[in-house]
Amino acid sequence: MKNQLFAKTNRLEWITVGIDLLFVILYIVGFLYFFGIVELPMLNDTTIDLANLDQNYVYQTFLGELESPQLNGIISLLVIFMTVSVPLLVIHFKKVKNIIIYEVSPGFAATKFFYGVINLLSLNPFSAALRFYNTFVALQLAKGYGFKGFLKSIGPWLKKVTAKKVQEEDNEDDEDTLLLKKNIRRQTAVHATRMTLTYFFLIVMAVFIIIPFYWMIVTSLKDFYDSTVNPNPSIFIGLQDMQWVNYKAVLQELNFGVYIKNTLIVAFFSTIGTIITTIFASYAFAKLEFKGRETIFSIMIMTMMIPGELYIITNFITVSKNGFGWIGGGAVTDTYFLAMIVPFMTSISYIFFLRQNFKQIPESLYKAARVDGCSDFKYLTRVMIPIASPTIFTITILNVIGSWNAFIWPRLITAVGGTEGQNYWLISVALRDANFNLPGGDRIMYNLQIAASALVTVPLILVFFTFRKYIMNGIGRSGTKG
Amino acid sequence: MNKLKNALWSARNAVKGFFGRIRDFLVDHKLGFLVNWPRWFKAVVYLSPAMILLGIFTFYPIVNAFRLVVYEGYNSADGSITGYTLFGNFINVITEDNFIIPSSHTQSSVMINTLVIVFVSVPLSMIIALLIATALNSIKPLKGFFQTVYFLPYVTNAITIGLVFAYMFRSGSAGLVNKMLGVFGVDPVIWVERGATYWKAMFVLILYGIWAALAFKIMVFLTSIQGIDKQYYQAAAIDGTPKSRIFSKITVPLISPMIFYILITSVIGAFKTYNSVIAIFGNTGTPAGATYTLKTIVFYIYDYLNNATPGNLSLAAASSIVLFAIILLLTLVQMQVGKKRVHY
Repeated sequence: MKNQLFAKTNRLEWITVGIDLLFVILYIVGFLYFFGIVELPMLNDTTIDLANLDQNYVYQTFLGELESPQLNGIISLLVIFMTVSVPLLVIHFKKVKNIIIYEVSPGFAATKFFYGVINLLSLNPFSAALRFYNTFVALQLAKGYGFKGFLKSIGPWLKKVTAKKVQEEDNEDDEDTLLLKKNIRRQTAVHATRMTLTYFFLIVMAVFIIIPFYWMIVTSLKDFYDSTVNPNPSIFIGLQDMQWVNYKAVLQELNFGVYIKNTLIVAFFSTIGTIITTIFASYAFAKLEFKGRETIFSIMIMTMMIPGELYIITNFITVSKNGFGWIGGGAVTDTYFLAMIVPFMTSISYIFFLRQNFKQIPESLYKAARVDGCSDFKYLTRVMIPIASPTIFTITILNVIGSWNAFIWPRLITAVGGTEGQNYWLISVALRDANFNLPGGDRIMYNLQIAASALVTVPLILVFFTFRKYIMNGIGRSGTKG
Repeated sequence: MNKLKNALWSARNAVKGFFGRIRDFLVDHKLGFLVNWPRWFKAVVYLSPAMILLGIFTFYPIVNAFRLVVYEGYNSADGSITGYTLFGNFINVITEDNFIIPSSHTQSSVMINTLVIVFVSVPLSMIIALLIATALNSIKPLKGFFQTVYFLPYVTNAITIGLVFAYMFRSGSAGLVNKMLGVFGVDPVIWVERGATYWKAMFVLILYGIWAALAFKIMVFLTSIQGIDKQYYQAAAIDGTPKSRIFSKITVPLISPMIFYILITSVIGAFKTYNSVIAIFGNTGTPAGATYTLKTIVFYIYDYLNNATPGNLSLAAASSIVLFAIILLLTLVQMQVGKKRVHY
């Protein structure tokens, strides 16, 4: 019976996740469609009127005629839905894949109900209905009664809650009991005050942390006047006033599309390189025995202490004309990507981190595999990598984040070769060095600059929310700064 | 489907048999070492990808930095030098205006700036992080939420948030901080723009430093506080010890090795401040029109690198070796104190 119910809630949950996925795709397609038709105002045939991006247009869509504010509102809603549903989808997927029967509890059912409400709010009635139904299936599994039983159980529960208060009004006590009660009351009061103060402190600090993010998102959606000129900037912003055209201007007119592509290329190849070299090196340091293993390893650890600036000086010479000639040789021979990727295809701290993980895998496993005639390479790919896959995944994420945030080295490299180098800017470099000034003036268009910042930050935050556990574990365990 | 599978298997066996035959042949003819590699050779194969890269981009640069530092007038374009010097580059760096000694009394030097950042932002962020970690440890509901929020700055881009900070502290228009201060009746303050005073600009820089540094520290402190044996707290609770005493007599002493480790790593990190300065103040490293500089040691090194005059690379190497010496000294102190483990 229980197993059947469990199978039922699981099947339901799989279907719900499928519908969720469908809706996520719908949101994304919708967003791409509406964002695609947003029009950039033109000054003349070739130049875009960057100072007055907030002009009103009438768009012909499949929903009929839409004016700019309506279109902005729709895009805002879709973005909110996406930011909520994509991480939730990943969480649901992971949960339903790994769930075991003992995890089903009333609390579990309640979370399902909660997620159902979120589904309802993000205009996804199908998932919501399935989740609500599933709540009661799970409840039946956990408590033994379904929807009707749940309704019946509300009454006694309310009675129990109210009954407690009646009991407290007891008959007279002697002095000692009164004193004790007074003390307990005082202690509860002290405890309550302390808790309030603690939460107050935590909330204040959380606001301090959040404010820059909030202000970034809000500013990136403002028009030029409110972001730059207005002495009294508005702190909140309505869904219809969100100027999504800012992002379009940043991506197309200020070339951030190209910079993001560059960054992704660098991140992809340097991460693949890092993973391969790291796995092989840490396997050698953890399992293979050879002379000087510990010596080489301690020398590597010692170099972690040396500031990066010391390497950069020589590496700069190495990649430029006199060394490998990757940069500074003129437009034909310049290969900026090589210069940005190759030096970062390995990392001592990751080797250290992964070696620790490999070392924890029991030696007997290795011996047994060797006796069965398993080669080292096979053992590495069939046993070690699957066991250490969470760590390898953590390294992957941290490395991608690291390349996404890389600033100093790419900036130094792309400063060579003038405008040729500018085509290879990575986003952080572009953020700092791109020209955000109003055409023909020296006023910075803050709405666009901050929109570009948000463009850099939002993917990072999404990645963080989705893979929070891996990132936090990785940092907690390795105890090193990325 | 099965046919395909069989074909694949037989192909695989054929290949295996072929290699096996080669192996047998080689072993028979005393050439076994070609196929039965010794262990060290295997290690070389596994290590070579990482080691070649590290050799070129990590080990060689360290050696080369010490070579560069004895060159005089090194020209990176053609590799020519005008002479050798043992300490000349160090002396040039140290005696240069605004490296250690400010050139005039309104000025500041990169060493002073770096030390201000180190001695103000590190202790402040340590204390705040410790308080937050303790507070987080004492609550149950919303703990995960707060943890996530506090960890957010760790994954963000230093340049981005620096730009946002500079924007928030704008003075003329659209400045959030001045608007907030205006609510309390404070007149607009010039923070980071033309006319800002040294300490106001430094305040923004330090505030940003604290904001960015909290995440990692809270995370580490929380992990180590959670690792403390609950018995100590239970004993203190039975004795009726006040919370402040529990904090100062149990929590802090028991995680003191971690506090010390974080202290050293964040001092090292603060010595290497660069991104926050360039994000907030741009390439000049100072508010527009200011008579002082807010550059740090690392900023100074990159100034040499960006300016390809002959001899500058040697100066850059010299200043980075100075930085390395400071870091080495701090690490040695950490190792010495860590060995003694005097934390009770």
